[in-house]
Amino acid sequence: MFQPAVNAPAGRTIKTAAYLVGAAVGVAALAAALMPQAARLLAKGPANTGHAALACTDCHREAPGTMRQQVQAKVQFWLARRDSDVAFGHGRVGNAQCVDCHAREQDSHPVHRFLEPRFAQARAELGAQSCTSCHREHTGKRVTMAATACVTCHQDLELRRDPLDVAHRELVARAEWNTCLGCHDFHGNHKRSTQTRLDAAYPPSAISDYLAGGPSPYGRELKYPTRTGAQ
Amino acid sequence: MLAPSPPRRNVRGKVALWSGILAVAAIYLFATRPAPLADGESSGRTVPIEKVFRILATENGTVRALWTADIVAAGTKSGFKFHEKWRDDDVAAGPLPALFLREAATAVQKTRVPLGLFLGSDYPIAQSNLFSGVQAEHFKRVRASGKPEFFHAPDIGRHSAMFPDVAVAPGCVSCHNEHPRSPKTDWKLNDIMGATTWCYPKDKVSLEELLEIVGALRSGFAAGYDAYLAKTKTFGRPPEIGERWPREGYYVPTREVFMREFERRASGNTVDRLLHAFDRDASAPGH
Repeated sequence: MFQPAVNAPAGRTIKTAAYLVGAAVGVAALAAALMPQAARLLAKGPANTGHAALACTDCHREAPGTMRQQVQAKVQFWLARRDSDVAFGHGRVGNAQCVDCHAREQDSHPVHRFLEPRFAQARAELGAQSCTSCHREHTGKRVTMAATACVTCHQDLELRRDPLDVAHRELVARAEWNTCLGCHDFHGNHKRSTQTRLDAAYPPSAISDYLAGGPSPYGRELKYPTRTGAQ
Repeated sequence: MLAPSPPRRNVRGKVALWSGILAVAAIYLFATRPAPLADGESSGRTVPIEKVFRILATENGTVRALWTADIVAAGTKSGFKFHEKWRDDDVAAGPLPALFLREAATAVQKTRVPLGLFLGSDYPIAQSNLFSGVQAEHFKRVRASGKPEFFHAPDIGRHSAMFPDVAVAPGCVSCHNEHPRSPKTDWKLNDIMGATTWCYPKDKVSLEELLEIVGALRSGFAAGYDAYLAKTKTFGRPPEIGERWPREGYYVPTREVFMREFERRASGNTVDRLLHAFDRDASAPGH
């Protein structure tokens, strides 16, 4: 059935107006989104413990080149005319951005160590070669990895001269993996002495609170403070 | 009843529109293109990563010999101490050779050059340095042949090499044999005590990249030495830091003096290997 011919121009006018309104709303939304003040609203979630004062661009750095160069390079890559892909807009956030603030001269579990070939299990099960596997950002927490993750690498632990009153091998046999962090600060960055009695270990609830962003049972004095002084 | 055929004029219009958009995009991207972004190693001649690893291992061997003999062994005779817990505030000591290497390896990470350097053994003092998995298999061959092993670790996308770590000084043997936590106490001079493992994400690099890698490693050595100098300043009796070496008494050389001596010993070999970096002859120094 045919529409009456007299309605066609009116329909086109409404359609055009809808397009214009849609375009205006789109441009306004884009402009608002690009304002620096809106940056935090665009984040996937709240900043992790100690990161609230950081600007988005402290981690999400601008990728090299102009937008046009990036588009050109991406097309060349898709056409197999260049070897490496490029980032568009902002570069991928990786360990380098974390290490910029958290580099330490001494670390009992430095992230680069997990790129040694033999740590394949830690990489497969935990993704231990990447900072964000344990410290997933925009969660509002300090640590997002389970407190019992030590089980992946330390199942064969047996100390020749065990300094603890309960042998480590006994704790391993009893699968008490929630006690590890009660004595051991994972990165070893707190100025403190490791307990030698198991009953002096911090309770698992204190550790859980700490990982979630609560107070540190290990104390506040750091061997190597971060660039911003965050705990 | 026949369905009305779509107006041919509209189809032609859409084809023309899309052709125009593609033409503009092609002009935007290719005809009036800006300078292309750098594409890593896509142009120019490249050096296989095995050759790079050999250069790095030789550099490392040189600095380890310098550290072990001229700082640790000579220093011990002059009253210096070296300890595995050297970083603790209440320990007035410097790093043992394995820990000096770790200092350098950690410092390399700050350079953004994606070079990995690790030290391990089948009889390590620290259990965390025990080889396992693919490294344990390759180390068996290193121990049997005394030659380096090259392999690819696909899960990390790293090309890797293991070079024998030899007991170059009597101190290596005595320290490991006498250490209360040592699992092996019959080491002899020139034994293969372990291996250094080197990792890099590419199978070949440009000459410029090779120079960057060597530079990063050397900056790691310098940073390791800086850490030791900083520690000596906290000693109850700080040594004099200057031109003189521990073999002359209670002295330590400055970073410049230490690195100058390292470069004197290492650079001839490294430059020779660089000059032969593009050789295909397996007997050339770069091989």
